[in-house]
Amino acid sequence: MAQVRLSGIAKTFGKVTALDAMDLVIDDGELVCLLGPSGSGKSTLLRIIGGFETPSAGAIAIDGVDVTGLPPERRPTAMVFQSHALWSHMTVHGNIAFGLKLRRLPKSEIRDRVERVLDLVGLAGYGGRLPSQLSGGQQQRVALARSLVIEPKILLLDEPFASLDQHLRERLRDEVRDIQQRLGITAVFVTHGQDEALAISDRIVVLADGRMQQVGRPGEIYAEPKTAFVAGFIGAMNMLDGLLADGEIAASGLRLAAEGSGPARLAIRPEDIALSEPADGRAATVRRMIDFGAHVVIDSALADGTHLRIQTDKAIRVAPGERIGIRVDRWTVFTEDGEPRRYRSDTLRSFRDVRYA
Amino acid sequence: MITASHPRAEGGGLSGLLLVALPVALLIWLVLWPVLQAVVGTVYFPGKGFSLSSYAFFFTDAYSLRNLWLTLWVTALTSALRVAVAMPIALYLRFRSGSIAALVQSLALFPLFVPSVLVAYAFIRVLGPNGIVDTVLVALGLPKLPTPYLTPAGPIIGLVWERLPLTLLLLLSGLGRVSIASVDAARDLGAGGLTIFSRIILPRIQSSIIVALAFNVLGLFSAFTLPYLLGPASPEMMGPYMQRTFSDNADPLNATTQAVITFAFCAAFGLVYVRAIARGRRGPA
Ligand SMILES: Nc1ncnc2c1ncn2[C@@H]1O[C@H](COP(=O)(O)OP(=O)(O)OP(=O)(O)O)[C@@H](O)[C@H]1O
Ligand SMILES: [Mg+2]
Repeated sequence: MAQVRLSGIAKTFGKVTALDAMDLVIDDGELVCLLGPSGSGKSTLLRIIGGFETPSAGAIAIDGVDVTGLPPERRPTAMVFQSHALWSHMTVHGNIAFGLKLRRLPKSEIRDRVERVLDLVGLAGYGGRLPSQLSGGQQQRVALARSLVIEPKILLLDEPFASLDQHLRERLRDEVRDIQQRLGITAVFVTHGQDEALAISDRIVVLADGRMQQVGRPGEIYAEPKTAFVAGFIGAMNMLDGLLADGEIAASGLRLAAEGSGPARLAIRPEDIALSEPADGRAATVRRMIDFGAHVVIDSALADGTHLRIQTDKAIRVAPGERIGIRVDRWTVFTEDGEPRRYRSDTLRSFRDVRYA
Repeated sequence: MITASHPRAEGGGLSGLLLVALPVALLIWLVLWPVLQAVVGTVYFPGKGFSLSSYAFFFTDAYSLRNLWLTLWVTALTSALRVAVAMPIALYLRFRSGSIAALVQSLALFPLFVPSVLVAYAFIRVLGPNGIVDTVLVALGLPKLPTPYLTPAGPIIGLVWERLPLTLLLLLSGLGRVSIASVDAARDLGAGGLTIFSRIILPRIQSSIIVALAFNVLGLFSAFTLPYLLGPASPEMMGPYMQRTFSDNADPLNATTQAVITFAFCAAFGLVYVRAIARGRRGPA
């Protein structure tokens, strides 16, 4: 059992508010990603869980035990840092054994456990090397092994693979997910890569400016963003400034059904747009076509020049300058106050959009 | 196995050679040549031939030996003290931040901008006989301070203070290579402050410490101003001793002999320094 409960956590550095009013429960065996732009407070939150920072307000409990005032070494947590955290004067074995030696375990047990964990991270036989003789990916595997070997209840990872290339990053994050599931430990993973968060988490916590924007399963956050920020941050999204009036939202020459009045933001995913015959309020001009192989992305311009990204079938071919008609299948309208409203073209078929059915 | 390539083996080419040609020429002209002259001048006497008598005198003269011995231990103690005093400050500055750290830093670097002569007079005013400390003690009805002025402790205190900033900067540059994350990681696994220092930090700043010690030794061995102004009249450190032999006793031969001996000691420490640098470059920090 390892459940983390944060209640009313806030952290200020001088005049900077890094975190504000955080309430969150991380369940046993769950992998939670903290996702947000640079400076949103992800590391600060992780360091508070790990005991490297004390919150200015609020409390943190692990398995019901208040650990707010405890230093890192007295918490059942282990942290994997972004980089440069290995001890370069010790071998891989020395790095991993360090925590076990501090616990005064017998030599033979230390050797066994180090070997087992090296095996777990796919580095069997590398114990005698120095960190400088390893690749960046291998180094981070050692860092992971060093944290895992002390059998923490909660594993904390602060952008552990940020300095690696994308390919390796993807492989390692899948490995982390795999190991976490196999060991059944709780994990908190900080990242500013949304694809990373979507790929491995049970739940995602989206942070912006030190505040929790939304907590939810990856699919949920992608499909039903609660704020315009989340909508824009997770996945590709066209965000347009528009005006609500007469049952419509008008944004950059685009007109879609929506209730309410006053200024609002219109959010449309590129894959929720299909091509059709040009019509009033449903047209754009092609700027560029990007062929990704599996699909095609069209960068187009609306009436006032605003970019509109369209993701469509790989068979589609359009030329720059070409005028295209668009059909929007789903859209979300965010107003300053109140819940976002989501629309689908098929629910509206009865009145306006019937032509594009 | 991966074997590290030797940077020296690659060579810098002709342009690299030209780049170092000027400093090397200056070194030969301004340093090595006078040294050679001094050495030759103490062992070869035109018309009389070779003689090591001035060295024989130095190493049999009790007073000279006492001076050499004093210089050696004052140097050793002072450089050890400098590192010992600078280390906690450096650790503090490296791993803490904020306004207090900024204040500590400026205080610690302050001696860098104070000439030795001022240090000496400030020292005398504060710690000397009838100085501020004495006056306060007397006013409080307490016994007078056994003043370090004109004892070996005098120059040691002055010298430690005077060159503290340089030692501090050297240690800081070494600590700069110890990432905060690597210290946090050790803390996370349960290491206490002492363990972190001895097992994580110390091994990685070893070469910086050696460099700091060697640097200090080089400067201290021939230090003049502070030992002259604050130290005992007898025995005296090599710096004042040479100066007195040369000008007061008008004995250039023995002064030069003392200089050559001093130089030999410095060169030995210089060798340690060079080797430490080479090792720091080759091995991981
Ligand atoms: N030790 C500190 N002293 C002062 N301000 C700090 C400190 N640590 C963090 N902050 C501030 O707190 C805010 C949140 O920082 P934090 O490091 O948690 O962001 P982050 O989400 O991890 O960003 P990144 O993705 O760049 O790592 C930032 O505005 C940062 O400047
Ligand atoms: Mg961070």
